[in-house]
Amino acid sequence: MEFRSRKTRRAVVVAVMALPIALTGCSSGKIDSGDGLRTLTIDKTFDLKTADPGRQYEPTGQLVGKALYQTLLTFEGTDVTEVVPGLATLEQSDDATTFTLTLTGSPKFSDDSAMTADDVVFSLQRVIGMKGNPSFLLAGVTVKKTDDKTVVLTTDKPTPALPAILANPALGIVNSKVVKAHGGTTTEADAAEKYLNTHSAGSGPYVLDSLNLSSKVVLKANENYTGDEPAFGRVVIQNVEGATQKINVEGGSADVALDLSGTQAKGLGSSVDVTSGPSANVIFLLLNQNKKISTITSNPDFVKAVKSAIDYDDLVELAGAGTSRAAGVIPSALLGALDVADAPKLDLTAAKAALAKSDYDGESVTLNFPSDLTLNGLEFPTIAQRIQSQLKAVGIKVDLAPAAVATELDAYREGKEIMGLWYWGPDYPDPSDYLVFTPGDVVGLRSGWAKGADETVSALATKAAAGGSDEERKANFEELQKALNESGPFIPLVQPGNNIAASSDITNVGYNPVWTVDIATLGSK
Amino acid sequence: MTSLLLMVGVTLANLVPGDPVAAALGQRAAEDPATVARFTAEYGLDKPLPAQYVSYVGNLIQGDLGVSTTTHNSVTSDLGEALPATIEIAIGAIVLSVIIGVSLGTIAAYRRGRTADHVLRLVSLAGLSVPTFWLALVAYYVLYFKLHIAPASGRLSSDFNAPPQVTGLYTVDSLIAGQLDTFLDAAWHLMLPVLVLTLYTVGLLTRFVRTAVLEVLDQDYVRAARAKGLPARTIVTSYVLRGASIPVLTVVGLAFGSLLSGTVLVESVFSWPGIGSYAYQAASHLDLPGVMGVGLTIGLVYLLVNLAVDLLYGFLDPRVRLA
Repeated sequence: MEFRSRKTRRAVVVAVMALPIALTGCSSGKIDSGDGLRTLTIDKTFDLKTADPGRQYEPTGQLVGKALYQTLLTFEGTDVTEVVPGLATLEQSDDATTFTLTLTGSPKFSDDSAMTADDVVFSLQRVIGMKGNPSFLLAGVTVKKTDDKTVVLTTDKPTPALPAILANPALGIVNSKVVKAHGGTTTEADAAEKYLNTHSAGSGPYVLDSLNLSSKVVLKANENYTGDEPAFGRVVIQNVEGATQKINVEGGSADVALDLSGTQAKGLGSSVDVTSGPSANVIFLLLNQNKKISTITSNPDFVKAVKSAIDYDDLVELAGAGTSRAAGVIPSALLGALDVADAPKLDLTAAKAALAKSDYDGESVTLNFPSDLTLNGLEFPTIAQRIQSQLKAVGIKVDLAPAAVATELDAYREGKEIMGLWYWGPDYPDPSDYLVFTPGDVVGLRSGWAKGADETVSALATKAAAGGSDEERKANFEELQKALNESGPFIPLVQPGNNIAASSDITNVGYNPVWTVDIATLGSK
Repeated sequence: MTSLLLMVGVTLANLVPGDPVAAALGQRAAEDPATVARFTAEYGLDKPLPAQYVSYVGNLIQGDLGVSTTTHNSVTSDLGEALPATIEIAIGAIVLSVIIGVSLGTIAAYRRGRTADHVLRLVSLAGLSVPTFWLALVAYYVLYFKLHIAPASGRLSSDFNAPPQVTGLYTVDSLIAGQLDTFLDAAWHLMLPVLVLTLYTVGLLTRFVRTAVLEVLDQDYVRAARAKGLPARTIVTSYVLRGASIPVLTVVGLAFGSLLSGTVLVESVFSWPGIGSYAYQAASHLDLPGVMGVGLTIGLVYLLVNLAVDLLYGFLDPRVRLA
């Protein structure tokens, strides 16, 4: 641009020079919490869809939901093997069909109103009636109030997992008056989500300050929280890609990074501490048992050959820090998990012998997997390539068939994959969530394992589903998994590591499979 | 043009081999046939493709881009939030690119065949060839982490609140609100993404400007100006650059459009909540209204920028007006 007259040029110069003067005495956009509590910044790769507790069911949603809403029962720290009282105490019938919950203490919502049994009934009935993603958690559950402090849940069949389910942030208790006033109902007509994406209506340690589903969630301390005051007055959870998270936490602009891969977690500076351990996700291989899909993978000897041909230790090493061998489909953090000694083992001689007994004559077997899925920093294409080369060593030719997860999921759900590489993360931390791997159940059907395909496994599944004491359940689920490892179409591979990198002045960092990190319990040195 | 874009978009979006309902509802809810049926009807996915097209166009005429199946917000309002973030870095990058690219291209043309020309051609080739995602990561690592001269990712530091929204451009809105510290922080955060996008566009512009200037330098009127003994500065600004401005302007218009559509990976590295990030999120969740909304918006911006470029031709060259 050319300033044609001296007058114009002079006006621009004066305007530019006057700008700082005009801005003197400007207001400030910087946050001043005024209470001396510092801001905690958490980097997370978002899969956030909503802040409505009754509709969220993604890891980021659970992280946020745990901070905003309290649940009737909960877990202490990182231990998910034992359910402890939250807002209520629990009495359970021997047959695991009646659960009496009694509100304890005097919990208050963030608007200073007291929580009652009506709020509990509304919250749970809303989750059931809305038919959102977490509604399945309370399928077959009836909720009734018996007095102002007591709610009774009854189930149509024994549900020993219900206490663990009730600890899920999706079942957080909402302020029924507020939610109803903004369109909340216990039916599919519920319209409170928009409100709950801009305001929270819970009794948790934090309230929602602002939410942008694709970039940032800001929380601030709930002044009316009746529990211990959180160490951080303001929390910013921001959507950051893995490689950037590493740089941010090392550079000090983020206090906590939640999505570092095993490789990224190595070699971080001394100002950062890494908490590594196996996640609750189990990556497994499935071989379709439906003869119409594949006559090769449905051959039991071929399945045995593949189980014996995989170098599991090599996969653990490939996945990096925190990764552990998956001994069965149930991850190590849960009741009933198998010892590594019971896991399928690499045995090339046995693999070759089983392959010789099968009808396999060197044809290609297709391995489908999600090309864009990264789990705890571990990329599925990398595992698929390694499996391809391991199976090649015993003479099994594998063709890799990657596809975007959004499209490959359809083939997986419809049971059309010949070989598939997938993972299962617990819907709730109870072994009964893994009954889906048995014949005729959800994941069983995805591998062409129809009802009645394996009577031994089905009988063990029925026994495990019946409930009992923790010891009995532990024994039953271990027995079931040993049978699954022996004759099932699933090959548990690894539990990828979960790596939480936090600035060394952040204390009490620990991984919980349900909500990743309890923000309110994080402290500062 | 717009109709074609719409038809291709709606058709392609519906040919994607995936189930948008399952992606939107999540694994468990998608197993309930009643819930799936309700969602399918709510988003009009049960209608035949031509009916969906007609319905989409009907809504579009009223400024309605549909409802995102990921965020459950109207796509228009989602884009209203995301687009200014991208526009802010695109404007910054294009302004810087024009200044640097025109200067370097002119120098390269004047030094044709000499060392400076060879170096600048190599630099521009490198700018065009280096993957922006890699460049963004390296720039972030070096300038933020190692040298501490650039800020962390995002549009603002975590201890700042976004200024009250007027334009959606944080630098402008913070000035309107009189928040100087927010303005400085927002401007500081613009630095890295703008720099990375600039490096790519500078490469493109330098090459085009060099070619355009070389063509003008061979023109009789430039030779005549030299023969008259006019100062070199006058020849460059009043004759050469003016003569080369039309092809350069065309490239600037195209570069601006490609900046908008090419920010996906850069926005991902810098956690920049623009339409690139929105498009990535929408595509990975099979959010067809979201994907369509981004596609149409970028198409519309292309059209508007090209229209502006066409109008500017008339200001730069009176012969265009007469024609």
